[in-house]
This record gives sequence, structure tokens and C-alpha cells, in this order.
Amino acid sequence: MKGEFILDRNHLSYWLRQMRKSRELIGPLMDGGKDIVFKSVDKIHELVLDCPASLPSPKEFLFPQYESMLRFTPLHLPLTKGGQGGVSLSEKAIEDLSDKTKRVIFGVRSCDISALSLMDKFYIEGHKDPYYARRRENTLFISIVCNNPDPTCFCIGLGTGPYLEKGFDIQMTDLGDRYFVQIGSHEGAKTVKAMSFLFRRPQKTDYEDQYEVFLSSKARFHKRINLEGIRQMILEEKVKDDFWQWVAGRCFECGGCVYDCPLCTCFTVTDRTYSEGIERVRLWDTCMFKGFTRMAGGVLPNEKMVKRTKRWYYHKLIYYPESLGGFGCVGCGRCTITCPGKIDMASIAARLKGLVLNEEEE
Amino acid sequence: MNKILTVCPYCGCGCGLYLHVENGQIVGVSPSRSHPVNMGSLCVKGWNAHEFIAHPDRLKYPLIRKNRRGSPENRRFSGVSWDEALNLVAAILDEIKKKHGPDSIGILSSAKCTNEENYLMMKFARAVLGTNNIDHCARLCHSSTVGGLAAAFGSGAMTNSISEIADAKVLFVIGSNTTEQHPMIGMHMLEAVDRGATLIVADPRRTKIAEFAHIHLRQKSGTDVALLMGIMNAIVNEGLVDVDFVRRRTENFDTFEETLRRYSPDIVEGITGVKAGDIRRVARIYAMEKRSMLFYAMGITQHITGVDNVRACANLVMLTGHIGLPMSGLNPLRGQNNVQGACDMGGLPNVYSGYQTVTDPGARKKFEMAWRRRLPEKPGLTLMEMMDRAYEGKLKAMYIMGENPLISDPDLTHVREALERLEFLVVQDIFPNETSEYADVILPASSYAEKDGTFTNTERRVQLLGKAIEPVGESRPDWEIISDLSSRMGYTMNYRGTYEIMEEIALLTPSYGGILHHRLQEGFGLQWPCHDINHSGTQYLHRKKFARGLGTFITVDFVPPDEPPDDEYPFLLTTGRVYFRYHTGTMCGRTAVLEREEPESFVEINPDDAERLGIRNRSMVKVSSRRGAIELKAYVTNRTPLGIVFIPFHFRDAAANILTNPATDPSAKIPEYKVCAVKVEPLVRPQKVKRVPSVDLEALRIT
Amino acid sequence: MKGNLKNNKKNGNIYIPLNGRIEEIIQLTSDVRLFKAKTEIPIDYKPGQFFMISVWGSGEIPISVTSLPEKNGMPELCIRKTGVVTTAIHSLQTGQFVGLRGPYGNGFPMDISKGRDVVIVAGGIGIAPLRPLIQQFIKKPNETGKVTLLYGSRTPDEIIFRDEVEDWKKSGITVVLTVDKGNDNWNGNIGLVTGFWPEVRTNFKNAVAYICGPEVMIKAAMRDLFFLGMPDDRIITTLESHMKCGVGKCGHCYAGPKYICTDGPVFSYKEIKEQSILK
Repeated sequence: MKGEFILDRNHLSYWLRQMRKSRELIGPLMDGGKDIVFKSVDKIHELVLDCPASLPSPKEFLFPQYESMLRFTPLHLPLTKGGQGGVSLSEKAIEDLSDKTKRVIFGVRSCDISALSLMDKFYIEGHKDPYYARRRENTLFISIVCNNPDPTCFCIGLGTGPYLEKGFDIQMTDLGDRYFVQIGSHEGAKTVKAMSFLFRRPQKTDYEDQYEVFLSSKARFHKRINLEGIRQMILEEKVKDDFWQWVAGRCFECGGCVYDCPLCTCFTVTDRTYSEGIERVRLWDTCMFKGFTRMAGGVLPNEKMVKRTKRWYYHKLIYYPESLGGFGCVGCGRCTITCPGKIDMASIAARLKGLVLNEEEE
Repeated sequence: MNKILTVCPYCGCGCGLYLHVENGQIVGVSPSRSHPVNMGSLCVKGWNAHEFIAHPDRLKYPLIRKNRRGSPENRRFSGVSWDEALNLVAAILDEIKKKHGPDSIGILSSAKCTNEENYLMMKFARAVLGTNNIDHCARLCHSSTVGGLAAAFGSGAMTNSISEIADAKVLFVIGSNTTEQHPMIGMHMLEAVDRGATLIVADPRRTKIAEFAHIHLRQKSGTDVALLMGIMNAIVNEGLVDVDFVRRRTENFDTFEETLRRYSPDIVEGITGVKAGDIRRVARIYAMEKRSMLFYAMGITQHITGVDNVRACANLVMLTGHIGLPMSGLNPLRGQNNVQGACDMGGLPNVYSGYQTVTDPGARKKFEMAWRRRLPEKPGLTLMEMMDRAYEGKLKAMYIMGENPLISDPDLTHVREALERLEFLVVQDIFPNETSEYADVILPASSYAEKDGTFTNTERRVQLLGKAIEPVGESRPDWEIISDLSSRMGYTMNYRGTYEIMEEIALLTPSYGGILHHRLQEGFGLQWPCHDINHSGTQYLHRKKFARGLGTFITVDFVPPDEPPDDEYPFLLTTGRVYFRYHTGTMCGRTAVLEREEPESFVEINPDDAERLGIRNRSMVKVSSRRGAIELKAYVTNRTPLGIVFIPFHFRDAAANILTNPATDPSAKIPEYKVCAVKVEPLVRPQKVKRVPSVDLEALRIT
Repeated sequence: MKGNLKNNKKNGNIYIPLNGRIEEIIQLTSDVRLFKAKTEIPIDYKPGQFFMISVWGSGEIPISVTSLPEKNGMPELCIRKTGVVTTAIHSLQTGQFVGLRGPYGNGFPMDISKGRDVVIVAGGIGIAPLRPLIQQFIKKPNETGKVTLLYGSRTPDEIIFRDEVEDWKKSGITVVLTVDKGNDNWNGNIGLVTGFWPEVRTNFKNAVAYICGPEVMIKAAMRDLFFLGMPDDRIITTLESHMKCGVGKCGHCYAGPKYICTDGPVFSYKEIKEQSILK
């Protein structure tokens, strides 16, 4: 089965409806005419395919904001807070609470899909994170070639959008009356195969129309940012401390950049003692907070804001390429949308370019 | 996964956020991109507003205490049914009312509860119990605003909208740590600065917003009246008064001007410590630009001169005509998510909803007819007065909804004894707290995620909550509890939903006349005044005329703080908040990240003072006032000026309010949290490590 | 308990702890205790590695191994009461359980000490991760040259393993104890450990150092030793950090580009400088 098909626009709902029988269908919906949010789809015809970026990124379906990890059920003796009593343990004492729901996430943007390859490397290689891995196995992504980028988007300079060559399960291009469907994974192929009567082979005009969409999509971008250039500037020590000081001074410590980022991975773990048992829960956390690295006894190695904001940029631009082979940024522009201090990736890059250019002129 | 749009339960910004629901559990939060306040951003508290909802500490069923008068260990609570708990509350309140009269009962309403709930609570107090003894924590934050601005303008609320801020040209922020306490308003301010606005901050402390300021005035705490008078004096002398505005729109200017003459910038420099030149400079900048917005918060209100401070602010905007226009006005920043609403709903001892006074026979008659009960005529007790009466044994019972006075009130030792002396205390909350330890009955309420209703944010925006999940345990929304209790006391409140309560509010409250739930579902709510169903709300107030007709210049004079530092207590203590914490910590203290960031109390002290006293950064110190003493860590920093120390009030251990002065403003009865005299002593003398003579490394070095 | 381990393998869930039954608790100082925990199946580990130790309801923290692995499978854990979890562990009694995940981290490089003089520098609780090294050197005295321990504590009462220190001396290790602040019964050294280099009679250029303690001490000791001629790749330290997972996912233990849990916790001075880890 070759990886390229045409799906008639009228058949999309039927296809998704069939898929929904075995998976939870999640997609972009306009909530009360206000915001685009990814949530369970009730009415398939309400899906919005040319929507602006959603907050947060779809990483929430693989690495949720709040996730129960384990449940510990004490036997025999009652619990005391902060201690466990003289508990007798058996096989049932610790229960793995990892999520096993099968999902299909429809309408994801290319940038978010390209983030997944690094996320997979981070969470699955080496010590395998079972929670992420299980959700990843159970989730199918259907991405859309972006035809309505936000003014904040800059995937175009990074090769992470608006369309992808690989790395997707299923990529769809909206050709008006039909969709150009590309298959990029085994799971994606299975999904199409199961409904093969809905699909036909693309003709020459389909390819031409798809290329037309690619071109018009690219033309809609407002920003093109060369992160490699910024990386070089940092490595060549052209970015001075007073610049990072300026960045730190504008940080509101909201954590939004990290929470919204499709490539930020930090979490904290906390235990919750309910009367039925103790739950070990993990929650999104961010390196932007001083307590993130607090040591026993209260020492704060990163008390100065500047260390933390600077480190975030180093992590995204220097350490990520070193350890995972790509920038910790896919140009989704969400930090630009969410940052109250306007010290997001795009703003910083623009400012740095400006600063250095000015210096060079002098 | 479902996502439900609702309103953040933390501060008065009223940000729009989505609660993420999976299998009946809240699993996340995300900001609304198109909300006019937060526009896709949230502060750290908003981003973590999901975690406490299902915290194991949630109160899940009613609790009653059988033996109240035992030692603390014997004061065990036992779980009971709603029937048993509410019947008991109804019976005892009835009995106390019969025995000691309705005014022996005091009610604390809540700035964390919805408008509908506050309205019902005030109806319960007035119609069911028959007392005007109802108040809430607005007494402690902005009662001076409510009183001060009502007198000057006829309405005590933020005159402009948050979305106007970014287009302003001058922002004058006095006594507000905006970036930390109203972060999303801070965001708009920073945007304005980026667009070229001039930011003036007046605050003794070097707060984060002060870091962004073009001019930072560090007046001595408690000298705000003098500072503002000095600025106005300069405005008059430099001929920058908006004469036309003063003539057509205001009254009483001449009397005011006589006093004003005494406050030349040079004299004011002597009082406030702010250079006369700076005072003149600020006067010019503020007066000469039309798009000038004045903001203030508790640095203005929490003084014995709180009302005077507010009046001085009002005089300043009238003098320059900087009011009644977009991007031009006077903007008190309200603290709690629904403190504006709780005031609007009449959770105050002297007014019904919409600030209709209980002493006005016309208003009383209207409410009597609607509620079919005779209503008390005399204004009731304020929060602090209730505590005093309880202490004296004259107030017998209290019903506290969603408040924690045992952290938030001044002079906590006094409050604790007052609560102990009550015959009967009902606490209704989502978590057990310091106050509920003294309760006889604890009623478990539902959190913001488990109910609907409306919150009114600081810019008067009435917004609908979205119910995301079913109530946790057997907890019930506050409005249901009140109406159930009321029925058991013989007054049926039969509402099918909060929208019916809102209908009643609209009927009886002119400024909410057109605010109905179905209208709030479109867009992001409506800003009052909204008089009728066709009215689209009001972006800014006092456009053609003030709410009361003419604006009034009320003459104010500088009065020093009640308890200035002296030889015995040489430091001036000012209290406030920190970014990662919220109020008494019942919610943020149960949020892993927030709790981790600021786990304990501290006192900020200037490096020079610290040096003189032998206090090292992060060492333990003892801070004492005439009312008590606490031990906590010192944080040596230039943020706090010489002679002033700062303690956040959030913490149970080392609670700042053990120290604070309960002296209050004579009319608003707001306590002077911002100034009291303390002394600071190091608990550990810095250890001198005896060092062996340093090693001559060079000699040992092998090359 | 066997079931648990089986479960562990079946699901491949690295976050499920094994149950460690506390067999013995030794009070070492007023706030430091040594716990001997027994797991059903003996676990192998190396000096310098750590376990994630948990008490259900309180949380999980990294604790360095304090002993060499024994056949009876009883890792020893030296724990000072400083936070929520350590307080919870201190409240446990023998027969109760801690959760135990690991061992994680790289451990000390042992081959570099072969045939060389060894300098061990410890500050306070920093002696704990170094103890298995000392035990190893005592066990195989012929593999190394002269071993010197510089061990600094705040007060004489806070010297951990005080009795054992005497045994170490008897086994041929040169021990220099020092305290920041003495008391009436103390007539030993007073001062920082870095003041006692003259007591280390060795050719620094040819020796190897293992260091653990407060960060300031680590930095000073490394700098001094490097200055004294010791090559930077033979100055070894182990770093403490806030951790939630122990396996390089949670992000809390970042240090420059590295994670202390998976890239460390043992680093050479060379790596620390090149990767700007201690900044």
C-alpha cells in the first residue's frame, strides 16, 4: 500500500466516526466562539481545521499536566500522615495507574508533530518512562498542513512546518473539496487500510494542488528566525551578561513558556494521602522557579533569576542539539503568545539580532 | 478530555482559563487566548489552579464538635449528615437569636464566593436572622476605597478597564506591587511601558514593578496623604489644573485648596523623604499627559488614614480632569477574585446590593417588599467590631463563609480569644483552616470548579463560572447550603439554580439590572453598570458626570501613623504578600509547586540595618511588637529601605498579624496593616569560625 | 514482595520502588541515622551510586549508598534529618519499609586509584558516600598506595561514624579530623579541611582525590588540589542535588548541560570545569 491517498471532503466525518469507535477522538474545537481548544470531539462537523494555535501544546496528551503514577494501598494498619505504619506488603500493594486509553488526535500542527521525535528520544531512550511510552503507543496523530499560521509562528525557518516530509502518522493537506492524505507510520497505514474504500490514489492534479497549498501556506508566515545564528552568537560569546540580566528582569515567573512548550519536559512528583490509599502524582514543573533546584536544608543554587532564564535558552539552543540532535524549539510560537514579559524565543531572537547588528555597525 | 471555560479563583484580575477534565477529575489548566485580561497568559497561580481541587484535605462531609469546651485534644470533630448539621445550626442560631436578639449574631461573607452566594448570604443575614452584622475581608483591603470613592464620586470601583492600560501614556502606581499581586495587570503595564508610556511608582519598597519604573518615589510608609498633597500643590502652582473640569464637574475645590496651600513640595519632602524636585517632576508628568491612569492598592488603603489616602487620590484625578475618559482614571486594584462582587452584593454592614444604604428608607422598603420581611434599620458591625464584641462576650455566634480571620486579621492573639469566647461558631469552607479549628460546625463547600455562578473582577467585569466537575465528596455549593439552612429556619429560598438568584439581583440592583446569566455566556461577561437587558456594559465610569452628580473635593490633612517607631520599637513594619503565595494559603499551600517556592515566612531587612544588628542573610531573627513576637528567617535585601522591615502575612507559622496594630481608620474601620513599630533581634550571633593559619599552597606545590 | 519485583519487570515501570525492610537503625549523631534495609533479592551497586528512597505519603529523595554491597542484600543508608522525607524516614522503626529504586548514577571510578596514593576529603554528611570507598580500600589494601582522610565537621558531636573512624585508623588509613567549632572535650584540630593539606604527605601529582561535602568545600578543595599539582581528571567529587526521578527525566538536577542523576553524581574536576557544572 503506497503512502499517498485522496480523501473526499464528504468522507472525513465518516472516517473519523469509524475511528472513534475504537479510540477517543480529540480535535480542535472553537469553544463558545472564543478559543480553540483540543478536547474530545462530540460533533465531528464542528472541528476547526484552519484554526490558530491552541494552548497548551498537544504534549498534554502524552505528558499530562497532572498524572497519577502509582497507588499504594496499605494493608492491615491504618495510615498515618507522612508515615506508613507497620504495613504488610503484598503484590497488590502498589498499583500502576498509567493511562491505557487509545486516542486519536486530529488536526495537530506540523510543528507539534516534529516535536514528538525529540520527546520520544528524551522519554523513551535510556531509562524508558513508562507513562509517556504507553500513551505514545496508544495515540495516533493526524496532522494538518498548516494553512493558517499565527503571526507568532516561525516553524518555517526551522524545517518543522508548515508541512512535514516524515515523522508523522498521517498528514493531511486541505485541497478544498478533498484532502491529500500521506501516511508516515505503520499505525497510520493500518488506520487508512481499515477504511480503504474511502481513499483513492492521487492524480497529477492532486499533487499540483498540494504543492499549491504548500506555497500559499509558506507565503502566510510573518516570521523567519534563524535559531542556528542565535546559537552561534551565544557560542561565540557575543551575548553579554547584561542582556541576560535584562531578560531576567522582565520574567514574571509564570512558567507559561515551559508549560506551553511542546518540548519542555520537567515535572515534579508529589504524594497524596487519601483515605483509600496514597497516590504518587506527577505534575508539570518548570526550571524557571528558584525552588526547582532547592536542596535539602534550603540551599538555593539557582536563586538568581538570571541563571534560570539564561539556562532555559541555553537548554533550548545549545544543550538540546548536543544531547538530542535538534533545537528544543519547533517554532510553534506559543511562548510568544503566553509570555507576559515578552521575553519569548522569537522576541529574544529578534532583539539579539538587532543588538549584535548595531554593535557590528559601531 | 473536556475543557471548560471558567474564571481563575485567585486574584482580582479575573483571568479566563480552561479547566481540563478527564474521567470526572480536573487534570489541568490552560489560559484563554482571547480573554481581554489575560490574552493567553496566566501567572503561576493560575497555571496551577487545578491542583488543590481534589486535594485529600478537602472537607467532604459536615463535621460537628461534640464537646466544645474541652482541651484542644478533646475537641474532636465527628462527621455527620447534612440534615443533622444544618438542623443543629438552624436550631442554635434560632435559639441565640431568641435569647440575645438578632444582633448577637455576626456573619462573614466571602470575597472568594460567587455574587449569587454573597447575595444570598446577605439576604440570609438581613431577612432570615434580622441583623445587618455582615461583613467580609474587603473590610481589611479596600473598605477605604468603597467609602472614600463613594463619597467623592458616588461609586467605589476601578474607573477604567484593564485592556485600556496598554494604550495609556502615564501610569502612576502608588502602593501596589502590581507585577506580583495582579500579574496580568502588570503585564498590561509593561506593555504600555514598551509602547513608550512613563511609569511612576510610589512605594517604600523596591518592588518588581518599581524596577520597570522611570521614576520610583520611596516615600516613608504612612505619608501618602502628604505625598499626594505635595504633588497636587505643585500642579496648582505650575498652572496645570484642568480648570474647566474642576468648575463644571466638581464642587468644594476652594475649601480644599486652602489646605492644599500648606503642602509645598519642600514641606512634603520633610514629611515623606521624597525630594521636592521629584515631586514637581511627577506632578508635571502626570498632569500634562491626558492618558494618565492612577492605580493604587493596599499601600494606600491599609492605614488609619486609608480613607484620606483614597480621597487624596480622588482629588488628584479631579484636579487634573484625568477621569471619565478611556485610559484616564482612578483605579483601585481589588485583591480577591470576587471582592468587588462581594461588595457589590452588599456583604457589608451598611448597604444592600448595589451600595443601597440600609438607612435609606426607600431602599429598605424595596428590599422588604421583595423579601417579605421587616429589615433592621441600623447599620451592623464591621469585621473588627464583631471580633471586639465577641471578645467582650456580647456577640454570641458567628457564621464564617470562606474566610480565615485567624491569619488575615490584625492582632491574632485577640482574634483567637474572641473566637474562643463565642458560644457558637459555624465555618463553611473547602478546606479545614486555622479558623475552623475553633468551629462548632464545619460545613464543606464546593470549590470554584464544582459550581456555577458569577465573579466580578476588579474592572467590574461580571463573568460566568463554568462547572467542570461534580462536588467533591458530599460538599455542596455555598448557595445551596445557605438556601437549605434558610429553609430550615422557616424562610424558604427556593432557587432552581444560580441564574434565578442572578435574576433577583438584577431586579433589586440597578447597576446589575441587565446582568443575567444567559447574556454572560457570549463573550467574556459584562462590566457594570449595566442597567438593562439592552445595555452592553460600561468600559469606563463617570463619562459625562460622576455617579453622584458632581465630584467632591474632600479636604484631607496629613496624620502620622498610629504607631510610629520609637526607641523601644525602632523599626517600621510593613506587611504584604509574595508572588507564589495567595492570602492565607488554604489553596496555594496545597499546590506542590507554589508551596515549594515559598515554604516559610521571612522578614526583609535592609543590609545596613542588618549589619548594625549583626544579622546575617537567612539567619533566624526575632521580631516583636507591643502585641506579640515571632521568630523567622531574615532576608537581607535592598528592596526594603533603611528603618523599614517587611513581612508577608500569608504564613501560619510566624504569622505577621501577631505583630500588626489593630488601630483602624475611623470611618472605614480598616486596620493599619502597613505600619506598626517593631524591634528586630538576631537569634543566633554570627559564629566566628576559628581558622588555622592559611596554608601556604605555594610551598606545597609540586611542579 | 517477590510479586512486586515480578510486577516491576513485567510492566517495565522504572518508577515502582522495591520494598526495603528496615532491619537495623543506628543513631550516629543527634540528627543522623544509619538504616540497614533488606530487599528480598540482593541488589548490586557501586560506591558513588544512589538509590531513590521513598516513604509513601511523604515522597522520594536520592540517598547515596553508604556501604559496599553485601551478599545478604542490605544496603546501608546514612540519612540526616533535614526535610519532609528524611523526617519521615527517621520516624520509621525496624520492621517497617522504605521504597527503594536504583541503584542509579555512575559511581566512583575505581581504576584510577590503582597503585596510587588516595586523598579523601569529606565535609559533614559528605562522609556517607565516601564510606564505601574507604571500606573498599581497607578491604583491598594492596590495590592502592597510602590513603589519607581529611574529615571536617561543624562540631565534635556532629562527627559521623566516630567509632568507625578509629577502626579505619587501625586499618592503616591516615585520618585527620577537624571541626569548625570545638567544645570542652575537644582537643583536636579546629578549622576548615582545606587548611590541612600539609598533613597529607603524598606526591599530589601522582595521587587521586575523592571529595564530598558542602559545595563551597568541594570547590575549594578541588581548586587547591589542582593547584597542588593533581591532574584535574583525578580530582573526583560527587554532587548532591534536588531530584524527583533519578533517571534523567524530571529535570530538577540539571547542572549546565548535564543531569546529575544520569551523567553523575560523580564528576571529575575536569568535567566540572569543561561543562561548567558548578556555577
